[in-house]
Amino acid sequence: MATSKFQALWNHPAGPKTIHFWAPTFKWGISIANIADSTKPPEKVSYPQQIAVTATGVIWSRYSTVITPKNWNLFSVNVAMAATGIYQLTRKIRHDYFSEEQAAMAKE
Amino acid sequence: MASFKAFLNSPVGPKTTHFWGPVANWGFVIAGLVDMQKPPEMISGNMTAAMCIYSGLFMRFAWMVQPRNYLLLACHASNESVQLYQLSRWAKGQGYLGGEKDKASSQ
Repeated sequence: MATSKFQALWNHPAGPKTIHFWAPTFKWGISIANIADSTKPPEKVSYPQQIAVTATGVIWSRYSTVITPKNWNLFSVNVAMAATGIYQLTRKIRHDYFSEEQAAMAKE
Repeated sequence: MASFKAFLNSPVGPKTTHFWGPVANWGFVIAGLVDMQKPPEMISGNMTAAMCIYSGLFMRFAWMVQPRNYLLLACHASNESVQLYQLSRWAKGQGYLGGEKDKASSQ
């Protein structure tokens, strides 16, 4: 019983013998890189790159449910990308715009 | 005019997500091109290396997915080039590839 379930996954059209599996699996590398970079100083975060990560994550979450074969691995990785992109963007925006306010208030 | 209409109505055209997904991915290419103007200390080695592997795999994905997606393929081929270039700039800045390590940078 366990082997037939395993075989079903192994032979799935979006399973580990196909690019439909490995491409999304590797895409987790982008979110992992973003998590590793979440401790870097906000000055080093790139707006264009993080906007691209977030936009990609959001649009691709939709795309992965309408391609053939439907790909939940791809869906989950894009949701994670959107989340890490948004996190990096809020860190940088807070640093650039909100800590300036505090510095300006301190001067007054 | 007729071919433009055919494009608008095609199964991978602008009325479908098969178009807009790849359009979003062009964002990475544009971000990479903009970031080429920045000093190498600002490049994230983690992210750039991840992008190189990611675009390599997705070129294959774009070829194999149904419907086959040439726009996505073109996007990832471009991204692969841009990211490999950025990776080489980063590596030189770090002292790999025979570049001189910038002693002032705190890495």
